[in-house]
Amino acid sequence: MVKKLTIALAGNANVGKSVIFNQLTGLHQHIGNWPGKTVEKAEGTLHFRGYEIDVIDLPGIYSLSTFSLEELISREYIALERPDLVINVVDASVLERNLFFTLQLIELGAPMVIALNQVDVAERKGIKVDHEKLSRLLGVPVVPTIAIRGLGIYRLLEVAVETIEKGEVRPRQILYGREVEERIEKLARLVAKVGFKYPARWTAIKLLEGDREVEEAIRKLDPTIISIKEKLAREIEEIHGHPCSTVITSERYEVANRIAEEVQQITPIAKPSLSERLDALTSHRLLGYPIMVVTLLAIFYSIFAFGDYVSTILSDFLYGFEPLFKSVLGEGLLEELIWGGIIEGLISGVTIALPYIVPFYFLLYVLEDSGYLSRIAFLMDVVMHKIGLHGKAFIPVMLAYGCNVPACLGCRIMETERERLLAGFVVTLIPCAATTVVILGLVGKFVGIEWALLLYIVDLAIVFALGRAAFKSLPGEPIGLLMEMHDYKLPHMKTVVNQTWFRLSEFIKIAFPFIVLSSLVIKSIELVGLLEPVSTLLSLVTVNWLGLRPEMGVSLVFGILRKELTLIMLATLLKTTDFGSVLTPVQMMVFALVTMLYIPCIATIAACVKEFGFKKAFFITVFEIAFAILAGGVAFRLLSLLNIP
Amino acid sequence: MEIPLSALKKGESGIITSILSASRRGRGGSWGFKKRLMDMGLTPGTEITVTKIAPFGGPIEICVRGSRLALGRGMAERILVRIKREWLRS
Repeated sequence: MVKKLTIALAGNANVGKSVIFNQLTGLHQHIGNWPGKTVEKAEGTLHFRGYEIDVIDLPGIYSLSTFSLEELISREYIALERPDLVINVVDASVLERNLFFTLQLIELGAPMVIALNQVDVAERKGIKVDHEKLSRLLGVPVVPTIAIRGLGIYRLLEVAVETIEKGEVRPRQILYGREVEERIEKLARLVAKVGFKYPARWTAIKLLEGDREVEEAIRKLDPTIISIKEKLAREIEEIHGHPCSTVITSERYEVANRIAEEVQQITPIAKPSLSERLDALTSHRLLGYPIMVVTLLAIFYSIFAFGDYVSTILSDFLYGFEPLFKSVLGEGLLEELIWGGIIEGLISGVTIALPYIVPFYFLLYVLEDSGYLSRIAFLMDVVMHKIGLHGKAFIPVMLAYGCNVPACLGCRIMETERERLLAGFVVTLIPCAATTVVILGLVGKFVGIEWALLLYIVDLAIVFALGRAAFKSLPGEPIGLLMEMHDYKLPHMKTVVNQTWFRLSEFIKIAFPFIVLSSLVIKSIELVGLLEPVSTLLSLVTVNWLGLRPEMGVSLVFGILRKELTLIMLATLLKTTDFGSVLTPVQMMVFALVTMLYIPCIATIAACVKEFGFKKAFFITVFEIAFAILAGGVAFRLLSLLNIP
Repeated sequence: MEIPLSALKKGESGIITSILSASRRGRGGSWGFKKRLMDMGLTPGTEITVTKIAPFGGPIEICVRGSRLALGRGMAERILVRIKREWLRS
C-alpha cells in the first residue's frame, strides 16, 4: 500500500518555483486550470521512500490578500485543501520581500519547509544568508538550494518528508505591536466562536487589513463581528495615525526586515555584474528602444524563415500521401469528405502549429525566463497606457503577431478581469502570421510593398483607436504597472522546453477540433453545391459595398478556418495565382484590409470562448465582422479616388 | 519637503510618507490600489531610490527593500515622499 502525500509549492513570482517543480516531478506532470478559473494549475507526482507525492505548483504571488485571482486561489488551496506540507520557495537574493510572504504563510498555519533558493545569485550580489539562523528565527526547516543546477533538491525532499513524518511543525507566530496584537486576539476569540473555515487568528488579521472577501464571509456568519472589527480598526488608526491595513502591512514588513537583517551579511560588490550592465543597456531610455525593435524583428524574422521552410517540407511530405490515399478509397464523395475535409484540416493544423508555434513559444519563454520580457513591458508601458492597459499587456500583443490563439491565452498575465478582456479584444485585431502571408502575397507582391506597409500602419491606427474606445466604454478604472524587475539570468532549458510543450498541447487541444470540424463543414457545403448560392448572397456585400469580385466573398468565408486560406481559395476560384492580371489594386487592398480585421479565425474564437465566455466571444466576433465590412467599404471609396499604379 | 515620487530625479532617494487614494474611485478600488503597493513593500517610512526613468512619461524603476520595482507614472504620482538629498547634508 503506497502512502500518498500532497506538497504545495508557494512563493513570489520568479524565485525558481517552476524550476524546483520541474526538478521534483520530471516529466510526470500535467498543467490544467483551477476549477472554474482561468488560472493555471500545475500538478506532478514523484515517488520517494515509499510515498507517492503529489506536488502542486501554486501561482507566484506576493501576498495572500484578494487583489488577484492567483492570491485567492493560493490561500484557498492552502487553508481549505490542507496539503501535508507547503514548500515556500524563497529567493535568497531578495530576502526581505520574500519573507513578507513567508510570514503570511506562517499566519495561515500551514505546515512548511523553506527552500532558500538562488543562494548563488545572492552570493554574486554579495549577500550571504545564514540559513540555520533563519530556521531558528522562524521555527521552520530551511534548506539552501540552487534549483537551476539541481543542488539541494534531494535534501529538500528529505527534509520535507521528515517534517511531515514528525508531524509537528510549530512555526513561530510573528507578533505585532502590543496595541495591535491585543485587538487581533480579541477579534480572533470572536471568530473562533463562529467556526470560520480559515484559522481564527489569520481571519482576525485579514479582517483588520480590510480584506473584502473575508469580511463578506464573516458578515454572513455574524455581522456583529464586523462592527466590532470596525471599532478596533478605528482605535488602531487613532493610535498610529495611519489606516489599520497600512499599520499591519508595515509591521509585517518591519518583522521581515528585522529577520532579513539578522540573517544576511552584505558585502558591497564594486564592479557591476554582467547582468547589471545588460539591464542598464536594455532598459536605457534611448538605446532600449532600438535594441528592443531589433531583437523583436530578429525573432520574428527567424521564426518566419524557419516556419516557412519547415512548413513547406512538412506539407510536401504529408500531401505525398494523397495519391496513396486516393488509390485506397477511390474517387468519390467519401474520399472528398475524408481527405478534403478531415485530413486536409489536420494537415493545415500540423503545418501551422509545429513550424511556427513551437519556435515562437520556445523563444518567448527564453525571453521571459531570462528577464527580458519585463524590460520590454517597462519600455512599452507608456504606449499601452493610452489604451488603458499597462506595459505587461504588450506581451500578448507581441504574441498576437505570431498567432492570436496563444495571445488570447496570454492575456491571463493581466491582473483583473477587465484588463484581461480589454487585452483580449485588442489582441484579436492584430494581424497574425497567416494574415501577413495574405498581405505580403497579395498586396506586397502585386500592388507594392509600400502599400502593404501602409495597410499595417492603418491597421495599427485602427487597433489603437478601437482599443481606446473599448477602454473608455468598459466600466472600471485602469490599473497601473507594478512589477518586480528581476536580475537577468540564464534561462533553465528544461523548464523552457516543458513550458513550450504544455503550451503546444494546449493549443492543439483548443484549436485542432475546430480547425478539423470547420474544414469538414466547408467541404460539405462545397460538395452539396451550396458555394454558388452563398457566393451570390455574399455578393450583396462583397460586390456592391466592398467593390470586390464575387469569388472573393467565398474565399473570405474560407478564411474563417485559417486566414491564409483566403489567398489559397482565391487562387483556386480565380484559376490563377497571377492576381495582378485579374484583380484591380483597389480590390486587393480592400480584400487584404478586410482579411486583417474581419474575424478572429475559428481557433481564436475558441480561445476567446475559453477565456472570456461565450457571450463576450460572440460579441467580439460579430463586432469585428461588422467593423471590417464598414472599414472595407470606406477604404474602397477612398482608394478609388486615388490613382494606384 | 513632501513631493510625489514621480518628481524625484534618477539616483535620488526619499522616504515614503503616505499614499494618496486613487482618484475617482470607490472604496473598493482604492483599497486594492493601496494594498497592492503596500504588499510590494511600499509602506510609509520605507526608503526608496529612483534607479531608472522611462522617457515620454513612462514608468519609473525604484529600488525598495533590496529589490527593484517598475511603477507606472500614475502610481508614482500618488506616492508622497520626503526627499533625502545626500548633498544637502554634506
